[in-house]
Amino acid sequence: MVRNIVVLGGNSHPRLVDTVTNILGVPQCNRILKKFSVGESRLEIQDSVRGKDVYIIQSGAGKVNDNFVDLCIMISACKTGSAKRVTAVLPLFPYSRQPDVPYNKIGAPLSKPPTDVNRTDFTFESRPTTPSPAQPQSQGLTNGIDGLQRKLGKTSLEQQNGSNGITPPRRSDTADSLQSLNGRDRGSSLGSPAAPAFTTHDYDNQAMVNKNFFQAKPGYKQWVAQAGTLVADLLTCAGADHIITMDLHDPQYQGFFDIPVDNLYGKSLLKKYIETRIPDFKNAVIVSPDAGGAKRATAIADDLNLEFALIHKERRPTRITDRQNATMMLVGDVANRVTILVDDLADTSNTITRAAKLLKKEGATRVYALLTHGIFSGDAIARINASALDKVVVTNSVPQEEHCRLCPKLEVLEVGYVFAEAIRRVHHGESISALFWD
Amino acid sequence: MAMNSIKLLTGNSHPQLAKQVADRLGIELAKTMSLNYSNQETSVTVGESVRDEDVFILQSTAPGDINDGLMELLIMINACKTASARRITAVIPNFPYARQDKKDKSRAPISAKLIANMLQTAGCNHVITMDLHASQIQGFFNVPVDNLYAEPSTLRWIRENLNVSDCVVVSPDAGGAKRATSIADRLDLGFALIHKERARPNEVSRMVLVGDVEGKIAILVDDMADTCGTLVKAAETVMAHKAREVVAIVTHGILSGNAIDNLNRSCLSKVVVTNTVPLGDKIERCPRLRVMDISPTLAEAIRRTHNGESVSFLFTHAPTD
Repeated sequence: MVRNIVVLGGNSHPRLVDTVTNILGVPQCNRILKKFSVGESRLEIQDSVRGKDVYIIQSGAGKVNDNFVDLCIMISACKTGSAKRVTAVLPLFPYSRQPDVPYNKIGAPLSKPPTDVNRTDFTFESRPTTPSPAQPQSQGLTNGIDGLQRKLGKTSLEQQNGSNGITPPRRSDTADSLQSLNGRDRGSSLGSPAAPAFTTHDYDNQAMVNKNFFQAKPGYKQWVAQAGTLVADLLTCAGADHIITMDLHDPQYQGFFDIPVDNLYGKSLLKKYIETRIPDFKNAVIVSPDAGGAKRATAIADDLNLEFALIHKERRPTRITDRQNATMMLVGDVANRVTILVDDLADTSNTITRAAKLLKKEGATRVYALLTHGIFSGDAIARINASALDKVVVTNSVPQEEHCRLCPKLEVLEVGYVFAEAIRRVHHGESISALFWD
Repeated sequence: MAMNSIKLLTGNSHPQLAKQVADRLGIELAKTMSLNYSNQETSVTVGESVRDEDVFILQSTAPGDINDGLMELLIMINACKTASARRITAVIPNFPYARQDKKDKSRAPISAKLIANMLQTAGCNHVITMDLHASQIQGFFNVPVDNLYAEPSTLRWIRENLNVSDCVVVSPDAGGAKRATSIADRLDLGFALIHKERARPNEVSRMVLVGDVEGKIAILVDDMADTCGTLVKAAETVMAHKAREVVAIVTHGILSGNAIDNLNRSCLSKVVVTNTVPLGDKIERCPRLRVMDISPTLAEAIRRTHNGESVSFLFTHAPTD
């Protein structure tokens, strides 16, 4: 029983809130959190929070924007309700992944076919487009050869786009994908509502961007919003005094805040799973599915004294005709070994399923995937079911009940203990880092 | 140095209004793309330079996905800020969470204040809105807020469509009395007020009419119509006091839930709303609905703000079409 503490749960993950309050031995704060018929959130906190240490648990899954605004409203209500301190507990931090800006590795914008060759409404104000080989030098005559050349040029481009191995990132034949398409119906919205759902990977894919009705102004590369700092600022401005989260995608994210951020690690849970549940784990190889996660993976490999391999993702636009797997390379040896893919999150599961395919091709006997956050949006579950992965292990930082039902390969680790202990320690002013000593 | 110019951006909530405003200003909407990732996070891409430009971002609140629209607006503001815009003005015809503007119960959130803070945190330098539910919300901001009025358009509509001398202006609740008296004064008409007791949100209970409406055309004036419970009950009350006809003029026609059914079954002969909120197919579904276009007012406010001219002219005059 912990005194003077109020645990308030959002709507995103009621199971986790139950677990945490049970472990802490405190009742859940009574509240009403619904929506008015307009769609505005309605919150009533029915227990006093005056002078209390308030912990608000809200994960960043499901309807992310709704959950985030709800969280801000809860924080602000507790703050104006004279709470002593308000801590936002975000098992999965929303907007933690910044989109990949379409640049290549050295920082130059990716080359793309001129998009406005057919534009005729030039004025004095128009900025000239950057000349490029495929582009006619002048506007030319409307009925002349130039027009024909232009059309021919366009078709050849389209053919190339069709055959260069860029598979559309979504399937439409699974029930799951159809469901998420209808998830947000905006009626008469400008951005055609039938456009397929976008993922953070898709900025890499110019064909996808251009198909989506969107063309940047000539001579200007697009500016992709990086919502990270904004989300941090919004939480602070709502009145949060402290943030507890887990396995931030970018460790630098902590620096976006001016308030203390406790970044918990799912590492110990994953390690325990490897030690207890994977037979003959001593001979397994830990694999990082991309270079960004190498540090996370090596940390586990070092702790368990296992070998390590890395998959290198080639992101430069290559005009090769092979499937995209050819752009993934394995560094290290996995032949006839059990492999354990380690990453912080899986969203569309594109990366891990492709990595699994590559590992099997290189001779791995079994492929496990250990992830902290299993968001599994879009057709991720269908993808995993069809993939070469033998087992996918995630924590329940986001609700997994539905995923478990649909995916027999999925195994869920309980993360409530870690958060309960972290909350207890923060409340009593004890060290958090002691939580992660071995 | 190049002149800085107006860049009008829009979110997904009300592209039609944005188009009308842009047409009125004689400019093109800036190229932007905003969409939801499959994990439901919102992504915004700005497709042209906004460096050192005067940026206006129009985002209304479509009933349903208020929070999505809000996050889209915040991210868009922040994207322009980080892209070095000179000034960012949020044009929010229908301010979200405007009704949650006070701590009416213990620990009730003052969400309107939170939204104001969030907008400023995102990097908004100026706000243009219309008929705030409570004009005190302006005080939640530390940046200039221009609260426009639909009143001039309303007056014009009354003069053009009703026999003014036969009318009486009725406020359906005490909070809107000021708005209604102002219209009554401008038209030199009588005024009546309905006192109501509210039991639960989105529901209305007993109503008492103060004033005389007998044999008159009663004009119910309010700032917003949501589920229309208030309006329908008020119309019944007015008709019970022997009014000849009852017309409602409302700035924000949110019309959520079963509002359209309520209106179709009510004794209101006409319901006049502005296009601050996208109406979609509601016009077809409700033959009594009339729409006033307020895009000229918004466009003029944007033009005046950009050129540094006074906006107060618009408080008394509606730009002609």
